[in-house]
Amino acid sequence: MNQAVISCLHANLPAVEAVLKDIELQGITNITCLGDLVGYGPQPNEVIELIRDKQIPTCQGCWDEDVIDGLDACDCSYPSQLAEKRGHFAHQWTTNKLTKENKDYLANLPYSIRKDKCLFVHGSPNSQHEYLLPDMDAFAALERVENARAEILFCGHTHQPYIRELADGLIAVKIKNAVPKDTQEKEIQLPMRRIVNAGSVGEPRHGGTKATYVVYNDVTNEVKIREVEYDIELTCKAIIDAGLPPIFAWRLKNGFEFAEQAEDASHVCER
Amino acid sequence: MIERWALVSGLKGDLDTYELIQKDLKKTPGNITLFVLGDMIGPEKNCNRLLHRLINPKSNDLQPWCIYGWWEEQILLESGYRGDQRAEALRINKGEEVVKSLTNAVDKSFLDWIAALQFGFVELDCGLIHGSSKDVGENLTLDTPPLTLLDRLTRLQVNRLFTARSTQQFHLELTEGILNSEVHDLTGNHKKEQKVPQKAVIGVGAGKNYTLYDVGTDNTQFLRAGYQSEKKTKGFGLHF
Ligand SMILES: [Zn+2]
Ligand SMILES: [Zn+2]
Repeated sequence: MNQAVISCLHANLPAVEAVLKDIELQGITNITCLGDLVGYGPQPNEVIELIRDKQIPTCQGCWDEDVIDGLDACDCSYPSQLAEKRGHFAHQWTTNKLTKENKDYLANLPYSIRKDKCLFVHGSPNSQHEYLLPDMDAFAALERVENARAEILFCGHTHQPYIRELADGLIAVKIKNAVPKDTQEKEIQLPMRRIVNAGSVGEPRHGGTKATYVVYNDVTNEVKIREVEYDIELTCKAIIDAGLPPIFAWRLKNGFEFAEQAEDASHVCER
Repeated sequence: MIERWALVSGLKGDLDTYELIQKDLKKTPGNITLFVLGDMIGPEKNCNRLLHRLINPKSNDLQPWCIYGWWEEQILLESGYRGDQRAEALRINKGEEVVKSLTNAVDKSFLDWIAALQFGFVELDCGLIHGSSKDVGENLTLDTPPLTLLDRLTRLQVNRLFTARSTQQFHLELTEGILNSEVHDLTGNHKKEQKVPQKAVIGVGAGKNYTLYDVGTDNTQFLRAGYQSEKKTKGFGLHF
């Protein structure tokens, strides 16, 4: 059966509506959301209410966590002071805008959702703030999936959709010295595992402007990245009208790749 | 001169053991650096004398380079050095009595020194920590999955990781690692084979059990404080 996985909606209502329409047109009813319902975008309440009304199971994203905990994303998440300032402003704006009911909804979202061999998280099983980028050290990436006891790990947070297969792995170990004395040698075959990043519905950073999400077939194990056009102008106008930083509109229109993403993506916020 | 590291942990206030190790090291040839990988304190003994000695080494002591361990983390938690958190895990697992014993075992005047200790050292391409690069309380042993060991090495970007938390003494080499990665994204397919160079995880022991590491040859010696001299005494006994 086909299921859809969406992430990083970022209060972009026209993008969310277009993606849900695209999912519906394919006859898919099983949807999981990986969080970041809010942040950057102009319609946080509307997006939360849409996801809640449709009863789409959702993990808590980094923005969802920060907005309700009254914590701004840690300084290390921003590539520059200017980006940090904009990020803080967007947090404040979103916090002020959200209704009490919607804040409670975000506060009660789970960190992860498990369905059989699939684990759904926002960033990584370690943290909502950890980036699993496609070129991350392969062994470290495999460790994230293995330690979470999953076969497929669905994540978002990087805003770059990808499917990564880690296969044919092996580690050889040798006890050089030990108390009590031991000199074993062994080879450990590593299991095949996959990481699927759903990209971003409301704040794409893949170089293009289309919203992305993924469709997973749990019978054939096939994963497809879907790209969906939406009315970008509508969102951009709402961003400007709301008084949010115009660069948020500019990068939606231009498909800017890097946005607010940390330079050291492997950094895990210890906050 | 041969460069050696002496790696000690889990003294838990035991000044006698520390003195035995200092004595051993005086007889050990080479240029020795002494690292104390945490758990200088514990709930069982009054730790003030040991802490005073670590902070104010005797003139003929090897200078100890200390980091904090799991027990230091517990006292810092309990004493309010980590915000609102307290040593709840310790309280739940070992009970209120142990929490009390720990705070009674260490004079408050040492807390600032403990709080200023580092999580670990990176020397050459080696990481020296108490637990793991993920958590001060993580046990790394011979039974830890190699994938986890590799991850903890990668997190510190080191080739050798010295750890103490498990109290075990071992030198495990990861001699080979290979993993195929295939990424499919909007630009197409990208295949890559990743290999890892040889790496190692070394458990340094605790208390009287300590480790000598020969930096030049990458060899470890697992020792027990006072044992060398005991053995020698016996040997002399045979001669006379
Ligand atoms: Zn996001
Ligand atoms: Zn995020």
